[in-house]
Amino acid sequence: MSGSVAELHQRAELLAANLPPLLIRADRVAATVSQGVHGRRRVGQGETFWQYRRYEAGDPIQKIDWRRSAKSDLVYIRENEWEAAQSVWLWSDGSPSMRYASNRRLPQKVDHADLLMLATASLLVRAGEHVAPLGWGITPTAGRTALLLLAQALEDRAITANDNHPGSLPRFEPLPRHGGIVMFGDFLEPLEDIHKAIGRYVDRGITGHMLQILDPAERELPFGGRTRFEGMENEGTALIGRVEGIREQYRDRLGRHRDGLEAIARTAGWTFATHYTNQSVETALLGLFMALTAPRGTQGTY
Amino acid sequence: MVSIGALSFVAPWALLGLLALPALWWLLRIIPPAPRRVRFPAIRLIMRLVNPEESSAKTPLWLALLRFALVAAVIIAASHPVLNATDRVEGDGPLILAIDDGWSSARNWEDRRDTMTALIDQAAREGRAAGLITTARQSGGDQVSVSLLPAAEAKERALALQPKPWPVDRTAAIALVNAVQSSGDAQVVWLSNGLHMGNADAFAEALGKLGTLSVLADLPGDLPTVMLPPKADSQGLGLTIRRAATSAPDNLVVRARDEDGRVLARREVSYGAGETETELRLDFPVEIRNRLDQLEIEGENHAGAVVLMDERWRRRPVGLVSASERRNDQPLLDDAFYLDRALDPFTEVRNGAVADLLKRELSLIVLADPGRLADADRQSLVRWMEDGGVVVRFAGPRLAGEQDPLLPVRLRKGDRKLGGALSWTRPARMAAFPETSPFHGIGIPNDVVVRRQVLAQPSVDLPDKTWARLADGTPLVTAEKQENGWLVFVHTTADPKWSTLALSGLFVEMMQQLVQLGRGIAADGEDRMLAPLRSVNGFGRIIAPLPGAQAIPATDILSAQPGPANPPGFYGDETSRRALNLSPALPVPAPMGGLGAGIEPQPYQESRETDIRPIVLTLALLLALADIIASMALRGLFTFNRAAAAAAVLLAAVIVPPVNAPAQAQTLVDGESPFDAALRVRLAYVPTGDGTIDDTVLAGLRGLSLVANSRTAAELAEPMAIDPASDELAFFPLIYWPVTENSETIPPEVAARVNTYLKRGGTILFDTRDEGGANFVGQRLQVMGRHLDIPPLTQVPTNHVLTRSYYLLRDFPGRWTGGRVWVERDGSRANDGVSSVIVGSHDWAGAWAIDRTRRPLYPVVPGGERQREMSYRFGINMLMYALTGNYKADQVHLPAILERLGQ
Repeated sequence: MSGSVAELHQRAELLAANLPPLLIRADRVAATVSQGVHGRRRVGQGETFWQYRRYEAGDPIQKIDWRRSAKSDLVYIRENEWEAAQSVWLWSDGSPSMRYASNRRLPQKVDHADLLMLATASLLVRAGEHVAPLGWGITPTAGRTALLLLAQALEDRAITANDNHPGSLPRFEPLPRHGGIVMFGDFLEPLEDIHKAIGRYVDRGITGHMLQILDPAERELPFGGRTRFEGMENEGTALIGRVEGIREQYRDRLGRHRDGLEAIARTAGWTFATHYTNQSVETALLGLFMALTAPRGTQGTY
Repeated sequence: MVSIGALSFVAPWALLGLLALPALWWLLRIIPPAPRRVRFPAIRLIMRLVNPEESSAKTPLWLALLRFALVAAVIIAASHPVLNATDRVEGDGPLILAIDDGWSSARNWEDRRDTMTALIDQAAREGRAAGLITTARQSGGDQVSVSLLPAAEAKERALALQPKPWPVDRTAAIALVNAVQSSGDAQVVWLSNGLHMGNADAFAEALGKLGTLSVLADLPGDLPTVMLPPKADSQGLGLTIRRAATSAPDNLVVRARDEDGRVLARREVSYGAGETETELRLDFPVEIRNRLDQLEIEGENHAGAVVLMDERWRRRPVGLVSASERRNDQPLLDDAFYLDRALDPFTEVRNGAVADLLKRELSLIVLADPGRLADADRQSLVRWMEDGGVVVRFAGPRLAGEQDPLLPVRLRKGDRKLGGALSWTRPARMAAFPETSPFHGIGIPNDVVVRRQVLAQPSVDLPDKTWARLADGTPLVTAEKQENGWLVFVHTTADPKWSTLALSGLFVEMMQQLVQLGRGIAADGEDRMLAPLRSVNGFGRIIAPLPGAQAIPATDILSAQPGPANPPGFYGDETSRRALNLSPALPVPAPMGGLGAGIEPQPYQESRETDIRPIVLTLALLLALADIIASMALRGLFTFNRAAAAAAVLLAAVIVPPVNAPAQAQTLVDGESPFDAALRVRLAYVPTGDGTIDDTVLAGLRGLSLVANSRTAAELAEPMAIDPASDELAFFPLIYWPVTENSETIPPEVAARVNTYLKRGGTILFDTRDEGGANFVGQRLQVMGRHLDIPPLTQVPTNHVLTRSYYLLRDFPGRWTGGRVWVERDGSRANDGVSSVIVGSHDWAGAWAIDRTRRPLYPVVPGGERQREMSYRFGINMLMYALTGNYKADQVHLPAILERLGQ
């Protein structure tokens, strides 16, 4: 398992290598104390110059800017802008329904989800942002440690999953305000469940991105004849006499489901996009990159 | 049994099952196949969908048809259809089978047994009783006459019948048939052997009294061929082969085997157009001829086509030691001339000195008054005699002059002259041979007179030692047993100087008896009983003696008639066995023809009745397989990829083996690519294009590789056939190149490749395989290698590296020995002094050749496993020579080098 995780990690790094570091556009940076690249337009810790101010008693002598002070009679202190890091919580759906590939030549959905998640994390880390797996109660960290923690979470995901909680939606975890979330999954659960799961984060002012990953068979329903469909998460079975007859209906319903997801995202101010496993991961990653850096409210198929 | 045209059904009631088919059709159509099962993540979206058209709940038409055909096939198979079923027996009444189970029935025994089985099976079906009559005597001596039995029991007995290696006795069988109490309503079938034998009509008539008779006989072309024992003469063996009818195949093959059953030779022979008899001459070297044990016609498989051979057909060479060189200018004055003429018709004569003669196998040495023998010669003669040799010595002027210890009796000095100008006595005639003499029984012609002889000193045992006397009682031939051998002395000369014995036919007969003595035959009385040693069974196989076989008096062996008491085979003991053959006792085979009274023999119809149940069952099985695949495909368990893979595997299983086999045969061994050749050290050979030779060479190199792998550090892989025109030669340390009289000249461009190979360190062994004798193949080699740069050659010197590179060898025997082996003349220092070519004629591969069970394929000549061992040693030496170069040559200097290093 660790071998495949290492391999996944490597592939994600390769995938991310073609894109510049991902600096999230953040209107309001999460109230964490971590130092980062997002200027808070306030005096604080950081590397960028903010202002000079008169020395006052009690200021440490080391902070006096002697060059500025030499130009006048007053003594000045140099202050830098407070720069903080944005924290992003990442989540990839590891439920049984993700372990599906309609065709032997296609990867499983979970493969693309994990790959995209790690690639996104890699990009974020390179930009100095802090990342953490969602649902594990881990403080976001920067650097390669964060990637390792993410990979570890992917590995443990399979162990902690059980029938009661297959992991189709993330467990709720209280996050600091104004954090960011990126979710990868198939989002085939009932819309109410999804709305409920996301709503709790939205209430805390957290922005997010949902990337729906689907198999092409789930779009086309390419089966024919008399078929018994079986769910992958104990949803039950459905016997269809002639699959060709329900294909149009199915596409309709899938479209409505997606519309519902988009609506949920829109009302929450999140983005939503769909990726199919027969499409290239690079395209999906680039789309996600654009969405994470672009102004709010853009949606589309990556 | 119900028949429709040519098709019959054994169990027609099973066809009633076909009536159920329409119901099945209906069932199949209304019961839908199981749905295919698909695991699908988006199941929630599907669950509440309503299908507007719920169809496909019926089995598809093609699947229903498939299953319909499947069930129909099973039902038809159950009814046991038979094509061209034959019902030979009609009417009611019991079935009586008369079976010719003599030697001639072995050829088509399978057909006979099938016919018997079919007839009795039919009788069983119809509830008839069955009886059996066999015309040949059983091993116990009686013919089988079975009173009517239930068919099952009769079948057991019929199946237990085997053809006998002796003729049928129809006369006795007629008596047997006449003794049967019959109501005359029986169905009689005579499974005859198709031969007339003089009384076929009478037998048919006798059988006809029992009921309705039908006769089955082999077609004239299928009648057996008889091979008579060969006639031996000085040139070889003359075989007579007879067939019953000219419609039999014109060509046949005679195989000669030795005692261990190995094939020594195969000869083809054909009949002239319209001939029923043909002759085959077998000319073998004496060594081969003396190993002949059995001749047989290939594919005949009956006792009449097998000839066992004993000492009567062997030629034991006789060594002739005479005083001087043969006098070709005046042969009539030479005693060796008379001996030569006397011995030549039945044996081979070799001339030479004692030491030379004793090097090869001999049965008898004749000393024709050679004068004084050297001590070494005499000692070796005595040793040879004690091992079982026979020395026949003639008196003469040189012997008369001195005392020689190599005599059975002490001689008086000088000779005795009978008759002549100054004598009253008349030349003496010979007396009848005493009973203790091996010559006993030979008639004495009147014109044999002895004028001079040497006389024995009288002694107590002289009468016992005397084998022939003159009329006055003086010994003419004396003999003494020496351990296992005999020393025989003829008290007169082998030429007409002293007597006319050498001019008479008596001389020839006496010499013949003496040669017999050398074979250990007739040495110990003629009246002993010869116990059966091996028998020929009905199929012409040599097996342990048959149960009823009895011993034959030695005097009767030539006149004995083969029968249950004396089945054909070998009699006597291993050292002196006599053959009793079936074929001389057989009349000329003649086909039976019509039997009169409207009875026409019908041929055995073995092949027309075809049971098609297995075919139908196979079809049903295939349909069932197809149905399984189709069902799986319908349920989604069998995707297209898997189906394609399975189909590929099936196709491969079906197609690959036949494609593979010839590919193996014609390209490299085991289909290895030329690159594999470089990965392991291996021997190579250049095929001649003659399949037999190439197979032998391959088997030989295999044998050598095996021996070398087990004895040396060399690890040789499977040998390879190479084509010097296209294959890379550089991988092979040693190439075995057999040369035949048909070998083509190597074209210049190929020769250039071979020259490069030789120049860069390769070694080629050219083997002309011709026993070093006829130099025809040797010349062929010269023509063949015209474009090769072969350096000057020399005979292998005694200190050559080849003689010591692994084993210490003196000569290099292969299948033959005695020829010369040539290597590059020493001094050419290229290639580390390794000779690039080795030329010989000993057919080494033949000696090395082993079969799959690692047993040698061919005998070595003159023979002995030691010779084979030596030939393997030569092979290993040569291999080491080719592999290690001058390393072994340098070993000579090793002591000196060590000494220098040590000090």
